[in-house]
Amino acid sequence: MSPPNPLENLSRPGGSLKPEPPDAAEIAGLLRTGRARLADAGNASLALESRFDLAYNAAHALCLAALRTRGYRAANRFIVFQVLPHTLGLGPEVWRVLDLCHNKRNLGEYEGLLEVDERLVKDLLVATQQVADALSAV
Amino acid sequence: MIAPNMGTKQTSIPSSTADALFPKVRQRVLAVLFGAPDRSFYTNEVIGLAQSGAGAVQRELADLAGAGLLTVRRQGNQKHFQANQASPVFAELRGLVLKTMGLADVLRAALAPLAPQIQRAFVFGSLAKQQDTAASDVDLLVVSDTLGYGDVFGALEGASQALGRTINPALYTTADFRARLQGDNAFINRVMQQPKIWLIGQEESPQHEPAQPT
Repeated sequence: MSPPNPLENLSRPGGSLKPEPPDAAEIAGLLRTGRARLADAGNASLALESRFDLAYNAAHALCLAALRTRGYRAANRFIVFQVLPHTLGLGPEVWRVLDLCHNKRNLGEYEGLLEVDERLVKDLLVATQQVADALSAV
Repeated sequence: MIAPNMGTKQTSIPSSTADALFPKVRQRVLAVLFGAPDRSFYTNEVIGLAQSGAGAVQRELADLAGAGLLTVRRQGNQKHFQANQASPVFAELRGLVLKTMGLADVLRAALAPLAPQIQRAFVFGSLAKQQDTAASDVDLLVVSDTLGYGDVFGALEGASQALGRTINPALYTTADFRARLQGDNAFINRVMQQPKIWLIGQEESPQHEPAQPT
């Protein structure tokens, strides 16, 4: 018996994923909104906080699209970043950055402590672009 | 001048587990050799990395080699020591080293390829305070003008797996770090007052000035 893949493991009862067949229209919508927001996040005339929001939400939409393509739905937001090695074969230099941004986003949204700087936004943009590129290559 | 070790230098985590198992110098020698089992070290190198007395380190090396835990190779007039992977307890000892006394060395080795771009790096938080549990993350502060989070996460992944702990780096530019130190950033000020394990660089104004020879 081959070992179950990690996505399958995560979709067991009580896990962070649920199996659901891919839906082409949904995936197209996620890709469209993800790419549009990623493009706008590069707009240097916007406030850094706004660029962070746009890039973070772009990353979430794109990572979710990758997960939906594989036939799963997420039960929470952060799992879409953590499974990137299994959905798109991306390493820690991408998914850990997005995971960090997810935690920063939560601190900002729920505790009013949004600490973002130029470097973090730049790193977030680089990581999100890698997700977009990996999706295009699929 | 021989500086007495007053216990103020923290080169590795003086964790209670490690203290209960091994005397200090042996911990440091084991951390150096089993932290990087793929390479060999000559005697002076081990003495420097272990930051311990030459005689004590040489005694440990002789004992460990005598027990078959290290291999010894002569290269010219240098003796090279290396963790002996053929030893029946190699895997267990390495695991013990990584999980207890070798943390700083594992992290330093992981950051080594990026070191030229790092002004300072240290571990803070529960591990540095010796209040760690098995589930504690490693809190790492890195000051660099050129590195991004992607570079740092990429470099640290292996270490994170070896240590069995999540590593949370906080990255600052030199200017940003200084501004926060001088300003009233609560987080940075709290961190700077806490115990730290330095990986690259050192405390700027040490609380204990080294004794001047009289």
